[in-house]
Amino acid sequence: MAAAGSLTSSSIPATPRNVLALRLAVAVFVLCVWEGLSRSGLFYGEVVPSLLAIFVSMGKLLIDPIFWRNLQVTMVETVASLAIGAGFGITVGIVLGANRFLMRAFEPVVYYLSPTPRIILFPVMIMWFGVGPGSKIALGALSAFFAIALSTAAGMRQIDPILIRVGRSFRANIWQMAFKIYLPAMRVPILNGIRLGMGTAIITVLLGETKLSNQGLGYMIMQIYTRFDMPGLYALLILVFVIAGGVNALIGHFACD
Amino acid sequence: MSISEKTSLAQEPALVVDDVVKRFGRGTEIVTAVDHVSFTVRQGEFVSVIGPSGCGKSTLFNIIGGLLSDYEGAVKIGEERISAPHPAVGMVFQEESTFPWRTVIDNVAFPLELQGVAKSERMDRAHHFIDMVGLASFEKAFPSQLSGGMKQRVSIARILVSQPKILLMDEPFAALDEQTRLLLGDKITQIQQELNQTTLLITHNLTEAVQLSDRIVVMTYRPGQVKRIVDINLPRPRTSDVVGSDAFGHYVAEIWNDLREEASRGMADSESAASRRATHG
Repeated sequence: MAAAGSLTSSSIPATPRNVLALRLAVAVFVLCVWEGLSRSGLFYGEVVPSLLAIFVSMGKLLIDPIFWRNLQVTMVETVASLAIGAGFGITVGIVLGANRFLMRAFEPVVYYLSPTPRIILFPVMIMWFGVGPGSKIALGALSAFFAIALSTAAGMRQIDPILIRVGRSFRANIWQMAFKIYLPAMRVPILNGIRLGMGTAIITVLLGETKLSNQGLGYMIMQIYTRFDMPGLYALLILVFVIAGGVNALIGHFACD
Repeated sequence: MSISEKTSLAQEPALVVDDVVKRFGRGTEIVTAVDHVSFTVRQGEFVSVIGPSGCGKSTLFNIIGGLLSDYEGAVKIGEERISAPHPAVGMVFQEESTFPWRTVIDNVAFPLELQGVAKSERMDRAHHFIDMVGLASFEKAFPSQLSGGMKQRVSIARILVSQPKILLMDEPFAALDEQTRLLLGDKITQIQQELNQTTLLITHNLTEAVQLSDRIVVMTYRPGQVKRIVDINLPRPRTSDVVGSDAFGHYVAEIWNDLREEASRGMADSESAASRRATHG
């Protein structure tokens, strides 16, 4: 069925080997274009530094204790905001998923507030929790909360009702219902919510750090930027993307066995 | 009830369904799903309730299982009126109901886990019943790796491990093909005879009911009333070979005679509802 003009038709089979080859080809192409632009001299100064310079900067970063200390700060902030956001999010999600009345009343609120820019609350958070990690954790927790609460509420409603009838027919008490039926049945949606929440928590924490802070990777990015150390900036950005992507992949792995 | 039944302690009914009525809806929209239904199930007896779709079979199942507490009349075990899930009643549902995140053995051990039975004893007892339903080599498998018939056997083992006085099944084989159904019927008969298990089966399948039962309660189409109770005097121990006997054919024909009228009323009802939807819709 290789119909001409079909949007989905493709003559190349999507085997793992072909997929990997395509990815490598695109990566090599992008790197070549980058290196070409860098050598062409079309840009001022070091706006597009050479790959070698970025690579050297990355090496320097990786042995710099300041990088590791800032990474640790950002990690702690992210994990703390995720823990707080997940705690509240799962609780609120279960309550919304279990109670039709509360769901009607509050789910639209959570739903429509979810994509609003939380960063505008940053000044408030700074006044409440200070310039240090506290304000970033608070803002990160707030942004993680919405994704996790919505995902948990949806997961709660998607549980196969027969499993709940089985639990009732075996006269499981409320704790046994919660820990032996509801939570295991909602494992995938909850982990998906945590993955989404983690993504927004990282974004929010880094954003907060670039705005106003005295430590963390976001702060470090702005420090390097003010020094106009472009190779260092690109090296740090690449590291941040790799770390964030790696963590997401790790949670995704748990979410779908 | 005859005099001999009254005097014999072994014939004391395990389950009494006494004048049960269940209505749904309110005002002019009231539907009577179960209408003054009475019958008993004796110890060790296999009774089937058969009727067309819409005869209130599933409502009756939920009432006896204690999942529907708001009804008139009484379902009694001993002197106790059922209004919540009763420990003496084990339910097997029509839908596939294994826990997908648990292995076969952990699924079967589930009721023992709720009761707080120690792990080694739990595993021993679960193993025994998994063996009984013929899944010994699949203990570590997850339900997603099993066929529909195997999953229903896991559900049945999960009920048997809790040793219910009364096994209550709602069309447990409805989703299976005819051959699997006959073979699983053999398994059920064998287990029932081995454990002398009192069983109440809700079904719309005529051959299944005759193959397995000592007595069959035939229900009418809406409102669901008892039309007739038929004794099945086929020899025990019984296997699916009985399906070929003259006596079997005789029972099937006799009960179909009762059922046909009810089933065609049900069909006429759903067809007129469909044509109303088609003309107004």
